[in-house]
Amino acid sequence: MATRKKVLLKVIILGESGVGKTSLMNQYVNRKFSNQYKATIGADFLTKEVQVDDRIVTMQIWDTAGQERFQSLGVAFYRGADCCVLVFDVTAPNTFKSLDSWRDEFLVQAAPQDPENFPFVVLGNKVDLEPRAISTKRAQQWCQSKNNIPYFETSAKEALNVEQAFQSIARNALSQQNHTVDLYSELPEPISLTKTAPRNNGDSCAC
Amino acid sequence: MENSDVNRRSSSSSDSTTKPVLKKNSSLQNIPLPKYLWIRLALFEKQLAKIIDYLVSNASKYYDKDALVADPDYGNILSSLLVGPCALDYTRTKTSDHFWTDPPADELIQRHRISSVQIMPSSIRRPIPNFKRSLNTSSEDCSSRISSQYIAKDYVESLHQNSRATLLFGKNNVLVLPNKSDCVEPIPGYLSLHQSPNCLIIKWTPNQLMNGFNDDTSDKSKYWDYALQIRVDEIVYVHCHQDNETGGTVILVGQDGVQRPPIHFPRGGHTLAFLSCLETGLLPHGRLDPPLWSQRSGTAKSNKRRRPLPVLQENEDAPKDYVFRIIDNSNHKDILKKHELMDTKTTFPPKVRVQLGSSSTSSDSSTKSFSLDQNAPESPSSVCLQAVCESMKRQIISRAFYGWLAYCRHLSTVRTHLSGLVNNKIVSEKDAEAGISVQKWSELCINGVVNDPIEVYKLTYFGGIAHELRRDVWPYLLGHYKFGTTKEEREELSEQTKQAYENTMSEWLAVEAIVRQRDKESQANAIAKLSSGSASQEAAPEQIGRELSNDVFEDSDSDDEEKIKDEVPEKRTRQNTIKYEDTDDELDQSNPTTESDDRRPSVIHNDIRNISLDSSETQTIISKRLSEENVEREEQDGNHETDEEVINKGANGDTVGNNDEDGNGNKREYTERTEDGGEDHEVTDETRNDGEELKDFIHNVIVTNPSVDISNAQIEKGLQKYMNSLDEEVCGTLVSQDCIDSHGLASPSCLSPASSNGGVYTPELLETFGLNLHRIDKDVQRCDRNYWYFTVTNLEKLRNVMCTYVWEHLDVGYMQGMCDLVAPLLVVFDDESLTYACFCHLMERMVENFPNGNAMDCHFANMRSLIQILDSEMYELMHSHGDYTHFYFCYRWFLLDFKRELLYDDVFAFWETIWAAQHVASTHFVLFLALALLETYRDIILSNSMDFTDIIKFFNEMAERHNAQAILKLARELVLQLQLLIENNCSGIKYVMQN
Repeated sequence: MATRKKVLLKVIILGESGVGKTSLMNQYVNRKFSNQYKATIGADFLTKEVQVDDRIVTMQIWDTAGQERFQSLGVAFYRGADCCVLVFDVTAPNTFKSLDSWRDEFLVQAAPQDPENFPFVVLGNKVDLEPRAISTKRAQQWCQSKNNIPYFETSAKEALNVEQAFQSIARNALSQQNHTVDLYSELPEPISLTKTAPRNNGDSCAC
Repeated sequence: MENSDVNRRSSSSSDSTTKPVLKKNSSLQNIPLPKYLWIRLALFEKQLAKIIDYLVSNASKYYDKDALVADPDYGNILSSLLVGPCALDYTRTKTSDHFWTDPPADELIQRHRISSVQIMPSSIRRPIPNFKRSLNTSSEDCSSRISSQYIAKDYVESLHQNSRATLLFGKNNVLVLPNKSDCVEPIPGYLSLHQSPNCLIIKWTPNQLMNGFNDDTSDKSKYWDYALQIRVDEIVYVHCHQDNETGGTVILVGQDGVQRPPIHFPRGGHTLAFLSCLETGLLPHGRLDPPLWSQRSGTAKSNKRRRPLPVLQENEDAPKDYVFRIIDNSNHKDILKKHELMDTKTTFPPKVRVQLGSSSTSSDSSTKSFSLDQNAPESPSSVCLQAVCESMKRQIISRAFYGWLAYCRHLSTVRTHLSGLVNNKIVSEKDAEAGISVQKWSELCINGVVNDPIEVYKLTYFGGIAHELRRDVWPYLLGHYKFGTTKEEREELSEQTKQAYENTMSEWLAVEAIVRQRDKESQANAIAKLSSGSASQEAAPEQIGRELSNDVFEDSDSDDEEKIKDEVPEKRTRQNTIKYEDTDDELDQSNPTTESDDRRPSVIHNDIRNISLDSSETQTIISKRLSEENVEREEQDGNHETDEEVINKGANGDTVGNNDEDGNGNKREYTERTEDGGEDHEVTDETRNDGEELKDFIHNVIVTNPSVDISNAQIEKGLQKYMNSLDEEVCGTLVSQDCIDSHGLASPSCLSPASSNGGVYTPELLETFGLNLHRIDKDVQRCDRNYWYFTVTNLEKLRNVMCTYVWEHLDVGYMQGMCDLVAPLLVVFDDESLTYACFCHLMERMVENFPNGNAMDCHFANMRSLIQILDSEMYELMHSHGDYTHFYFCYRWFLLDFKRELLYDDVFAFWETIWAAQHVASTHFVLFLALALLETYRDIILSNSMDFTDIIKFFNEMAERHNAQAILKLARELVLQLQLLIENNCSGIKYVMQN
């Protein structure tokens, strides 16, 4: 089975600086929360084995720098992503507003096969903190408007909903892979188009 | 059923202790699809023993009666045997399919230590420059290969045709006299020739080891030593000796001239059959020279019928000897290629050409030099041997020559690409290893003047600086202090720097106040929108929540004001040294009063306010005092006003509904406040240092602008500034009624002066700076929280430096990582203005590394060239992984000058070396540090054939755990190595020519 070949799921976490990307990743992979994380420079990743239905897959979760200026670096890391996690801070409205640009930028840089259906997951982090600036409803509305992106409200500190969110991320990433494998299998055809010209010449000459 | 299948298989095939598990694992690794995944999983989870135990106890359900697991004894033994393996930690196994987590850096290093114990330490094995890779001698690893732990059955199976290797030839009862002392006469065995994808292998196995050999009594182990396994690509000559009575003998001679044990074929054309199979096997990349099958002149051309060389026909009378050479065409082509390159080389020394001419005059004839003994068949064996020796001699010479040639080309690449990376002049390390010690510095610094920059740079580069001196020496290295300046000049410079710094700070503090105000307004709007937009039942609680939130902010206001209060009296003492102590007394008195007197709640209230929150409301008055100079009266005024406010407060508190009645309510308030007061005092103590700085700055401002408005505004800004930096915890503990109350009072007073200034700045500027401030705050808070230096106060200093830089360089703006660059400077200097000045100097170089600059790409390109030149093996590995060439794993290294990779003490050492290196060895010393880091772990990287992502992970995990001194040393060596390469470019050629 072609889809079985690749069992590595590449997941990219994006979002404004300080929304808790590193914390979420570490909470999920190491089940630890620390308030000692520094601002991420460059990129880091952790891997974790996850069971999705009957399959065990390895998730490679990439944590990125939050400042949008460093997005230009992203292209090296975004390539081949299977799922993109957009994180915002429910207490900071700006982090929510910037989701649009993070999503667009990702689609530009990663250039997935099928941008319309590329799996995103949105996480509203820091729900343990008060006051809420972004209501659940508002976040859900945005997600619905973007082709029904799944939305989770999490707290990396309290380990709230993190497991469920990443389970869903794994599932979506896997579906993306299954999907792209089909797409990739069609890839050789455009190449064969260029071959048709010489072949035609060959036909006219031979026989 | 899968379970039973696996268990039966594994258990039946083994009677030793750990075999079941090991066997399963090894067999699993060959299976692309992890069919028996559960076993691995169970083992990793340490549950396998329990599962097997369960299976054993329920064997009747899952197993046939005759299964091993079902056996009451063996089953139990099996499950108890697995307890041991289950106690081990298996979680880190690397398989090619990424199925299991890659081992963490720790384990990789552990493994490396274990595996490299018998070998040499990595630093010695480091092949730099590595231009003789193609020379691989082979006799040892060949002989050791066979002794490796082959399981007999597997080995014998490998002799048959299988998926991995094709069997080309097989003959039993071939006699071989092994090169072992205890074996005196040739023993019969099975000779086979296998073609595997990468090479041809000749195997000979004594009959004793073959299946079906019935003599079970003897110990077979010694026969394993006799068995032969020879890679044909290590063989250069095949000697054939024909003998009419015994058949033929074939002797294989390796590249190193060592001959393998003679192989005696029985009569019947087996020698010929073997050789022809060998020849077939060598195709297409190799051949026998001369060809075994010669073309008969004349008739052969017409009917293309080929006949074997007459010598090998056994029916001829006399014994004949014959030597074949095995020619590897692929090698041959390489050599030709080298020749072409060599010929086009303009710098080719004529003398060498002559030397070459003796063995081969053109690219074509060079092949002849490798196959000299093609005339050997006609000559007797002694001549043949001589020819072999001769040819080997030539081969050695030519190899040396090609090595040298590669080296020359390599050097020219070095010259063109890398000469810019190091200084041409090599500075000797002599007497500089000790670095700058206190004593050395006192020698260098004569009467406060340092006149010998070269010496300072040299000492720093080779030995570093004693920590207590860094504060003095670093400004020189960074270019803030000029060499040759007197102490007075430097002090004046510092004073100027400070002045400028404080002026800048007052500018941005004013802007910050406006930005805060705007933020607050917009946030309020946003929340109002949100709450109005949300469902009606949600609205009410949210409203309350919002109020609380604002109050959280505001309560920090009151804290700031507290701080300001502390400062203001001090300021007063400067201007007219009277009243500070009085205030203190008052505070002291207030404490006993509050504790003893319950009956006068309003007074208590007042006094407590003096301790904790008082100043917030009085600050405006205090500023009035400054102008009016009538301290006594003001004091009264202040108290009076405070009283009023307290009353207000009480009323507010009641409206919120937390306090019941006057007496009780006040009492409760009182207790709350004493707690808060305590908190506040802690905060104030912590921030005293900072307060002093701020005081200085306020003082300055007041000196220049003594008007009420300005000083007032300054205070406001100070407040605002402090408010933002307040630790969350402090905020948290202060959520109480008092704070809520004070909010209403403090806020309007904050508003007016700041917003009155607001017109000066364009909205764009405010927006930009606000955005930057926001980012700075986020990163300052997160900067090295675990390092002792970064208390709340010192983080505040960091923030000031950062904001000042960004205010001065708004076009650059704040970028993540800048905080990391300020932090070590601040730790060393512990002085904001000096840190700021030095940071500006540092950023001249570093800013190019950040996005928008192009230094990072240059670094990557240079790294690529360096690795290509200095470690070709590593380069090949990197090249084989496409992504690798991006060198992104170096990104953080270069962006922050390794700040995140090392502990603070090591960062200091790295940084000063980098700065000094510009003048001593290389303006790109970071590259050599990066290379040294890579080289330190090169064996791990190579042996695990890590790709791009593996390396990123490895180095992220290794952060702050490197041996900094060793890396520095290696980096200096690498610089020297490159310098020597470049310097010796010409002399190197001469050297080779002379020899």
